[in-house]
Formats: sequence, C-alpha cells, structure tokens
Amino acid sequence: MGGEEVADTPPQRHEGAVGPGRVLESLLAGGGEVATTLVCGDGFFNEQPDEAHEAVRAWLEEVRPDLVLAGPAFAAGRYGVACSHVCRLAGDQAIPAVTGLHPENPGRLVYPKAYAVPAARTAAGMKEALEAMTALGRRLAGGGELGPAEVEGYLPRGIRRPGYRDRPGAERAVDMLVAKLSGEPFRTEIPVEAYDAVAPAAPVLDLAQATLGLVTTGAIVPKGNPDRLRRASETRWSRYPLEALEALGADAYECVHGGFFNMIACENPNLVLPLDAVRALEREGAIGRLADFYCCTTGNDQRLADCVRNGREIASALVDAGVEAALLVAT
Amino acid sequence: MDPESQSQIKAVVDRFGNEDVVVVLGAADPDALEVAGETVTSGDPAYAGPLAGVSLGLPVVHILEPEVKEQVDPQVYSEQVGLLELTLDVEAVHSAMRKLRGEG
Repeated sequence: MGGEEVADTPPQRHEGAVGPGRVLESLLAGGGEVATTLVCGDGFFNEQPDEAHEAVRAWLEEVRPDLVLAGPAFAAGRYGVACSHVCRLAGDQAIPAVTGLHPENPGRLVYPKAYAVPAARTAAGMKEALEAMTALGRRLAGGGELGPAEVEGYLPRGIRRPGYRDRPGAERAVDMLVAKLSGEPFRTEIPVEAYDAVAPAAPVLDLAQATLGLVTTGAIVPKGNPDRLRRASETRWSRYPLEALEALGADAYECVHGGFFNMIACENPNLVLPLDAVRALEREGAIGRLADFYCCTTGNDQRLADCVRNGREIASALVDAGVEAALLVAT
Repeated sequence: MDPESQSQIKAVVDRFGNEDVVVVLGAADPDALEVAGETVTSGDPAYAGPLAGVSLGLPVVHILEPEVKEQVDPQVYSEQVGLLELTLDVEAVHSAMRKLRGEG
C-alpha cells in the first residue's frame, strides 16, 4: 500500500492475495492458495493494539486458515512487533503461523516462540524470505514434527528439547575447545542469547529533589547538524547544551531522524524532546533540576552492539553530571 | 521507494521507453539504495507500489559517482551536491552501487 504515509491504516480484509501475497501464490504453485489477506498499518497496530489484535482474532476465527504467513518484516521494528503478535494470536487458536524477521528485529522479543525465518534487512530480500517462509509453513501446516532451529533454518525460539547424541558431552566439549584453540570453526551447543535482559533501575525516591537528564533517540540536533548525526544506522551519540533554554525553537533546532515523517518535529522539536514541558515541571517543583545538557542519537536501524555501547556511554555521562533520573523520550 | 516515485518513473518509461532512461539515485543509506535499485531494475521488492512485478531493467547510477559528476556543470554540482559529498560516506555509496550492479 505504501510507506510511512499509510502507517496509520486500520485493519482491512482483502479476498485473495495482495502485495507480496502475489509472489506467495506463485511459490505455492497449486499446492495451496492465498485465501485472504489482512492489511494493517504498523503504526496503527502498535498504537491501537487492542483494536488491531481483536481484528486479527476475529479474522482468524472466521477464516480458520490452514496456515498464517505474517510479513516478512525484515529489520522494520514496528512491523516485526505486529508480525510476532499475529503469530501469537494464531498460536492461541492452534493455527500454524510463520513470519520472516531480521535476527535483530525487536519483534523477536514480543513472542520469542514465533516461527520466524531469518530475513534480510530490507525488502530487497523479499523473494528469499517468502521462499523460506513458504517452505517452513508447509512443514508446519503438514503437522509434522519440526527439528531444531539450526537444522530447519528458522530463528532459535529459546526452546530446548532432550535428545540423544552419538558421543558424550565431555568428548564434544574437548573437540570444541581444540577447534577453538586451532582457530577452526565450531558450533556451540549452548548459544548465548542475542538479547540481554536489562534490569530496571531502582525507583527515584524523591523526584522533587532529583536532577533529571533528558535523552532522546529522536535525532533532535542544533540546526545545521554540527556533528553530522546520520538519519539511520548511526553508531554514535552527541550531547548538546540546554542551559538558559526554556524551549527548543524551530529556528535553532531540527530533527534529522530518517525513520519517520520528521517535518512536524522540525517545526516543533519540543514534541520529541519536551524541553518546554520539563521546564514547566521544574518551575512547579515537580522535579528538582534539569541537567544542563541533553544526550541524543538516531534510534533508527542502529546495530544492537552500538545501542548497548551508546547506552553505557550516555548513562556514564549522566552519572558524571550528577543526574539521578533520566527521561528517555519515545519517538 | 514510495509508490508516488515509482509511479513517476513508470510514467517516464511508458512515455520514452526504457532504452534512453537512466535512474540517478541520491540516497546515502546502503539499504535504501539496495531497495531503490531493485525497484527500478527487477521491480518493487516490497510489492507495495506500481512497480510491483514490473521489471524495468533500467541502468542505475548515483549522483556521487565520478562518471555522473563529470557530466554536471561544476558550479551546479557544487551548489546542489557539494555539501552532501563532503559529509556523506562516499565510499560506502560507491561500494553499495557496485554491489547493486553486480560489479563485485
């Protein structure tokens, strides 16, 4: 249907195949058909989840398909979250479902048990993703028992099943160690989870006494973008002064985020980095004091490793400045 | 690539044919280049726009490539592209374009 401009489209049903579904039809090659397609903007799905989930539930109850294919969502975060929810809702009704996600898609956190084939970062990998989804979907719909993720080619679901190996663990472990020491490839039997669970910080005891730090992944920068912050795939973060500022003016600040329609944020940067509202809270005494700088990066298609490092560095800068609470504003 | 741009490119090809049309890309992000290049050669990979399933096979170049730069009035280039050229990762763009055209 389109891109960001139609992200708020509410759920709508179409008979037969729409969009990438047309490729699916050819991949099915007579071994099934695309009965119906549910279309929904990923913005709508994430902003009005109750309504979106109900639409999916009702659609599945009515159609009772043999298989649901959601996406593929590639590295698109909101889309990945939506696809994972669709897989979960299908699972609730015992309907097999498959999606396609880039291994770093945050949708994997929503419902790790979803069957997801690994997809490329962008829609340029559409054909390969659909082929893999169709193949896995056929096996799931056929009711056969699936083997482990690494054998069947789907992303690990965090499930371990007991089974027998030809050789005892000690021998396998020594083989792995020898391979590792010789610089040869080996495959661990206990992979480390790709995502860390982050323990929430302790609650702020008294916000009226606390120093608050502002952090944004919304790429609000001084006009002219002095540090050349990128629109996407940024690896760094920047800090900019806030002292003596009551609000962010469109004449002095702009939004360089490339993951959403940023004109509105350029016209009023406070919508993303709410300095005006926080200053009002400061005057009311609701917070003690606002730190005299803010930290900023572009939260768009950023590699997980960079996110972790940026997060650590920003936290460290805030602590050094005596900040006791950080407001990370959603974009 | 958004449906409107696809529609404009399709209209140009419908009018002039695809033999004398070259697509000059301007995006800096390698992912965006990959999708845009695929769209005007093999068809919209997202199957969202008018070029879904339409294989135009158009040649694709980038405004930051030297062969394109040479053909533009230096003053115009400097005004319109100069700042971008200084700030973007030009080598990443070149490398993405080579990959897009299957030049290794």
